[in-house]
Amino acid sequence: MESKQNQYILAGLTVFCILLIGITAVNDEWLAPLRTGVGYVLIPIQSGVNKVGVSIYQELSDYGQLKGALEENRKLQEEIDRLTEENNRLMSEQFELRRLRELYDLDQEYMQYEKTVARVIANDSGDWFQVFRVNKGSADGIQVGNNVLAGGGLAGIVTDVGAHYATVRSIIDDSSRVSAMALQSTDTCIVAGDLTLYKDGRLRITGIRKGGDIKEGDRIVTSNISSRFLPGILVGYAVDISIDSNQLTSSGYLVPAAQFSNLQEVLIITDVKETEDPEG
Amino acid sequence: MKRIVINLVLIIVAFTIQNCVFPLIPFLSASPNLLLILTFSFGFMGGQRAGMLYGVLAGILLDLFYSGPFGFYTLFYVYVGYVNGICTKYYYEDYITLPLVLSILNELAYNIYVYVFRFLIRGRLDVMYYFRELVIPETIFTVVTTLFIYRLLLYINRRLTEFENRRDTTIV
Repeated sequence: MESKQNQYILAGLTVFCILLIGITAVNDEWLAPLRTGVGYVLIPIQSGVNKVGVSIYQELSDYGQLKGALEENRKLQEEIDRLTEENNRLMSEQFELRRLRELYDLDQEYMQYEKTVARVIANDSGDWFQVFRVNKGSADGIQVGNNVLAGGGLAGIVTDVGAHYATVRSIIDDSSRVSAMALQSTDTCIVAGDLTLYKDGRLRITGIRKGGDIKEGDRIVTSNISSRFLPGILVGYAVDISIDSNQLTSSGYLVPAAQFSNLQEVLIITDVKETEDPEG
Repeated sequence: MKRIVINLVLIIVAFTIQNCVFPLIPFLSASPNLLLILTFSFGFMGGQRAGMLYGVLAGILLDLFYSGPFGFYTLFYVYVGYVNGICTKYYYEDYITLPLVLSILNELAYNIYVYVFRFLIRGRLDVMYYFRELVIPETIFTVVTTLFIYRLLLYINRRLTEFENRRDTTIV
């Protein structure tokens, strides 16, 4: 009798879940209040545990790294000497660049975006998805579709927002697609996350049109035609570009500019690119 | 009632540790799936009804965290609770082999579920790669963690049972 009842419960729950999946696959806006409600309870817990975890981890790694630090210190000293020299050279180039920019009136737009700093409070622990959650949400002006930066490069895009949290899908996630272009030649391409390349720290570049001029080491930035990413944000550097077997397009790999291991703080651009088309 | 509250707290703690603490540990290339361990243990120890209840709770937490279709994880976790609840008739406190075997089977089922519905349907066919790089490490970590978590749950279960029995006798 009891097992019969259980079967009914199971069947009921199954139908319920499948219905939910079906409905939310089409439209999950109505879930936002529920997610926000649960967020009110969970986010403080997550933030707290995260804070404790970070401090314990840092305490431990501080001791562990003391030895390595001495050796590193010596190396860094050499590095400083080298960098000082390089800096001098770059400074002179910087002046030149400024002069040229004024000349061409090419003030780079993405320096002017409104940004806010957020802390990463939870990661996806499984290896299947590269999704993380930050401690700022719609109350801080964050919206779905905001671009997220870390370490000087594009890190991801906000996919889901609650009052005090936002979920970010990073560009290394297997389902991530970024419309991008080479900075020098403005040839467009698609930068796609790929789980099989994740361990090598690479992403895939596809769809470079024939005759497109993207070479090894080229800076890849978000393109002007992307409907979700603001233009001109550095994504990474192209490597191993080769012509596809169809002879029409080339593809290759991209080394991201942002560091994804141990992400702790990210910058969220609160401007949204305004376009009609929500896809792409 | 007390049991449900304690188990719910355990689920939330596991969820938080899984999402906030494990990713901070750099040498952990894969991390154990604590929620899966909890769900199947509750099902195994408490029967199908309990398994489904905690399956729903764990699944909803995960569904709220991810922005994919809502119900994806709930559906799977309900089944984990139900199927492992069937094995409850072989449940015997000091018998650790069966839970370990169940742990492996659950972990494999979970990964296959994620792979088929989130990767295979997008045309990602490199099964062996995913299996080698993701599924096997995670399964090993989960099985090892099951050894500890399961004993902890047994201990909590025993204390709760004692507490309930004591309360019953005082009422009588």
